[in-house]
Amino acid sequence: MCGAHATVRGFLGELVAKSPDAFDIVVDMEAGLEHLSRGTGKHVSRFLAVVEPYFRSMETARRVADLARELGIGEVSAVLNKARNAADRDAVTAFCVTHQLKIVAEIPYDPALADAERIGQPPLDFSPRSPSIQAMRTLTDQLIAGG
Amino acid sequence: MRIAIAGKGGSGKTTISGTLARLLAQAGRQVVAVDADTNPNLATTLGLQPERVQQIVSLPRSLLKRETQPDGSMLSTFLRDPLDVLDEYGARAPDGVRLIVMGAVGHGGAG
Repeated sequence: MCGAHATVRGFLGELVAKSPDAFDIVVDMEAGLEHLSRGTGKHVSRFLAVVEPYFRSMETARRVADLARELGIGEVSAVLNKARNAADRDAVTAFCVTHQLKIVAEIPYDPALADAERIGQPPLDFSPRSPSIQAMRTLTDQLIAGG
Repeated sequence: MRIAIAGKGGSGKTTISGTLARLLAQAGRQVVAVDADTNPNLATTLGLQPERVQQIVSLPRSLLKRETQPDGSMLSTFLRDPLDVLDEYGARAPDGVRLIVMGAVGHGGAG
């Protein structure tokens, strides 16, 4: 087991034990899969697998979701990102239905995000009312409401 | 709530993580964002200025004591008060989000 992951896990474990409801914790996980077996996500109640509308991304999301479920990491669901049209949405929806993965948010493809990235600005400050940010606001409200 | 966000590189997981963290904070909640990616760039998405990003100290492994037990299993003990650690290592991002960055991942024997 890797020391860096173990240290983050130890910190989160202590923080949650000491102040269970004081903080919302948002963990940006590693892109690979092996971190999951290292248990960084052990202290997590919601697990969101970001999925883009192409097959390899869907396959990765499915594997990550399966692993998270196996490890008993919170409630596992999918966030569809960069959806351009109905065909994108239909493909990911069909895939997620087959694999019993609930899609909790659909974030449209949004050129404003690439524009923000280019100049190193947070999208939330660069284009607070763009469609992708609106979708993330909806997701945030949903998470706060516990849905 | 405690949320983990995963996905392939380039999927937008960091953009979503950073934006969710900021939006939760704007809703009046205390938010700790954790960058557990081996190629960390959540700080920029949260809106820390480049010179502040340079100053971030990632969580040192010395915070965790790890001992191999006689039966071969590993016992980990976190050595500090987590709130003190948050104060010391948590970078202050816009909207009051605190950012903790995972230390560099070692190779070979350290893994």
